[in-house]
Parts: sequence; C-alpha cells; structure tokens
Amino acid sequence: MNREIAITGVGEVPSGNYPDRSVLGQALNASMEAIANAGLEKEQIDAILPASSFHDSWYNTDQIFSMYVEELGLQGEVQTNAQVTSGGASSASLMKMARGLIQEGEADNVLIVHSEKFSELDFEDAIDVFATLGIPRQWEAPYGINYNAIGGFMTERYKHETGASEEDVASVCVSNREWAKDNPNAMFQDDLTLEEVVESEMIASPLHAYECNVLADGASALVVSDSDIGERYTDDLAYLDSHGGTVTHYSISQEADVTRFGWEDAANKAFRDSDIDREDIDAAQIYDSYPVVNLIALEEMGFVERGEAGKYVREGHTEPGGELPMTTNGGMLSQGHTGAGGGIAVLVECARQLMGDAGDRQIPDLTNAVETAVGGTYMDAQVSIYTNER
Amino acid sequence: MSYDKPLPKPEPWSEPFWDGTQEERLLFQVCEDCDASVFYPKRYCPECGGEDFEWEEADGTGTVYTFSTIYKYPPSAFKDDTPYTPAIIELDEGLRMMSVVTNDPEEVECDAAVEVTFDHVTDEFTLPKFELVDA
Repeated sequence: MNREIAITGVGEVPSGNYPDRSVLGQALNASMEAIANAGLEKEQIDAILPASSFHDSWYNTDQIFSMYVEELGLQGEVQTNAQVTSGGASSASLMKMARGLIQEGEADNVLIVHSEKFSELDFEDAIDVFATLGIPRQWEAPYGINYNAIGGFMTERYKHETGASEEDVASVCVSNREWAKDNPNAMFQDDLTLEEVVESEMIASPLHAYECNVLADGASALVVSDSDIGERYTDDLAYLDSHGGTVTHYSISQEADVTRFGWEDAANKAFRDSDIDREDIDAAQIYDSYPVVNLIALEEMGFVERGEAGKYVREGHTEPGGELPMTTNGGMLSQGHTGAGGGIAVLVECARQLMGDAGDRQIPDLTNAVETAVGGTYMDAQVSIYTNER
Repeated sequence: MSYDKPLPKPEPWSEPFWDGTQEERLLFQVCEDCDASVFYPKRYCPECGGEDFEWEEADGTGTVYTFSTIYKYPPSAFKDDTPYTPAIIELDEGLRMMSVVTNDPEEVECDAAVEVTFDHVTDEFTLPKFELVDA
C-alpha cells in the first residue's frame, strides 16, 4: 500500500479577509491550478471530494450535490462526487477516501477541494458559529464555552503538568510567523516577537490575542493520483507512505488527557507501517490552531521529550534554517483559519514542500515529512508520513 | 428578565438528570449489568452496551481539572458575563463534566477543590455550577 498513491498537484488562493472574492470562483481557481500542477487535463479527474464549508449551508449543500462537477464541465466524466468532512481533520479523511477510491479502481485521479468565506458572516455570527461546531448542545454549550476557551483548557493544564512557561507556549506563534513571512498566501506576514505575543490582550486565559487563530477566507485543492499514473504526467509527487489515526472524544470534557490526546498512538501506528523512522523526518507539518497543539504533537509523536517542546521551539529548531521545520505555511496562527481548510492548507504545504515548489521558504534537502490533522474539539489525532521518493 | 442563553436539549434517557438538578441533586448513571459509573447520561452503557441503569447521587465535590477565563469574544449570549470561567470538573466519583467556577477568576487554579451549586436559570432548567471550597 505504501507510496501507491500520491499528491500530484496543489492549488491555493491567498487566505485573509477578501469580501469581494467569489467563494465559488476561488474554489474553481484552486481546482484548475491543482489540475494543471498535476500535468492533467480536467477530463482526467474521476472523482471530486469537496470538504465542508461553514459560512453558508446552501453553498455547502451545493458542493454535496455536484456543483463543482458542472462548473468544471465534467458531467459524464466524474464517477463520484461526495463530500468528505471531519472538520479540521478533513485533510486526513479526504486522503483516506481518495486512497480507497484509487486502490479499488474507482478512480485514477481524485480532486479534493475546499472553499470558505467567513467574511460573509458578520463578526458576531462568526463567533457564534464556532460556539456550536463540535460543542455538545446539551452538556457544554449552556456554559458559554468556545474554541478559545478549549484552547485555554489545554494550555492551562499543559502548563500545570509540565511547568512550561508563557514564553514556551508563545514560541510557536513566533516560529509559525517566521515561516509565514515568506508565504505570499498567508494572512499575516509581519514581524512578530515573543514579547508582543505574551503582552497582547488576554482573550481566554491563558491565551493572549496572538495565540488565538483568526478566521479567514480561502480555498485550496489537491489532485491525488495512482502513483504509476501520476508519474506519467509530473516529476514532482508527494507520496503517501503511511497513516495512523485515532478518535479520542466528542466532548472536550470527556477527553482523558487534554495534555496528550491521541498523538502517541496515531504516530506509533503511522511509523509502524512505514520504513521511515522518526530520525528520517525532515519536516513536521503540524496542524496548529492553538500553539499548545504543536507542543503536544511534537512531544507525543516522539520528536522531543515531554515538557521540552517549548524550549525546543524557542531555540529556533523549528524555524527557517532549523533542524525540524514545522508548520511551514505559518499555520492557522499566521496563514489564517479557513475552517475545515486549515488542515487542508497544512497538507497542501506538506506536498508543496516535497514537490520543491515552496519558493523562498523551500526546505533544503527535504525527503520525508510528517503531517498532522485534528478535528472538532481535538476529537482525533491523524498522523501521516509523506515522501518525495518512490 | 428572560434567560437568553443556550439551554440543554435533553434526550429521553437524560431527563432524570435534569429533573434531579431541579431538586439540587447531582445524579449519574450506574449500569445494572456491569456496575460502571456513567456521565454524561447515555442510552447504552459505554462499557458493556447494557441499557438498564440506576441513578445515584454524586457527593457534589471534586476538583478543577482545567479551566479558562473568557475575557473577550464570548458567544454573543454571554457578552454581559465576561469575565467568566468555564471549567472541566473532575467529580470525586471519577467522572468529568463541563461547568463553570463562579469565583473570582484570579482564585481559580488546576486541582483546586470545588463543590456543586445549583443555578435555577429558568423554571424548566437548573444548571449545576461549582464554587471553590476554600475561597
């Protein structure tokens, strides 16, 4: 199974506040870019898998009912149009579904597409949408929790158990920003210092403003192909080597350990099924959303000792030029949070780096990368290993 | 003043819990087949799949597993409440539940001892909340 499918093309529009940009147009632009990047004609796409959009349920339903097939002129060409979503973990779920379609002979080339336009919601509505998605209506919503508070829960307990400092946590924001400076698609590209992060306004303790992601408009697309077929059309492929996943909860209050989650289990599964070892990993494309998520993932996946990740990040090891480049698009903290697209953007970046197309932030001598995704209230842990060697 | 915050939407099997809160009793399920303690209330026992439960009353004491004080950007219905402190409470029976700690945010910390209070927010619903024991 290893390396039999690959990401052969990626497309992406800049993330940010773009009220004048069409949500459909950006989806189609990203899709056509990905198809061209794979060296394919659009008629070679056999299946379209849209992720979910949260800004408008009508738009989301249109994606389910084959809008993209018609807009791309692929009636009669595409055999399957099916929405696949698990929130922020959609990237992993989409890849698993694409792999299944390809390996069962249902498709040679699968188009994955995501588009979101949070700027269509007014600010308060956007806040309220994220106080319902994944928040149990009966047991948790009556207490007024939101995602910033959930990030706060994890960070508070993590600091309590490991002794990590405010600066240790904030360091992830700086590392991500150092990468985003060279990412033209990132929402935030200005300098950001540790002092600015820890001195920014308290939003949901212990999280400061710069430690909270910002909702953004954006769109991204990937073409996933049978590797043998993809190699006929492009020289630059990001092969899926292995994958491990686990679902740990629905309600954040029912998570056994908010300082660990399922990352160790998921990573062990992924590395068990791979010839690639942890020391062979050249980049960690970690789904961020809140800075403590990166610290927990680095530790639980076995890259640093428990409680040491903040020091590791503060020392610059995950920044440009460091030994373990991390979340090199800037992540949701700097590229912007496009809903289910936040994780897809991390996957696009993982592939783009392996294809050697990351411009000024290209990681030198890159062969193997680990990529993570997580949905809802950190309900699952999804770890994948990608490589550019067959 | 009318209460405009989200209210629970009970399932048939969780109604005894909400009835209990109105009487200021914090109830949890105990599976009749495997004796597992269960919270929040479930249709089927998560341990053995059984569907017969007894209800037991918790002591109402526990500790703060973790918490976060919301200062800005709360859900709109909670705008007038900031700062307030949602918390995951670990009951002494070993069960966890979402709630809020009603004390001054500066006093709340992980592992602090708490006990339940009951906020009769509407005629139909009472929300269990928690306060620090030694504050």
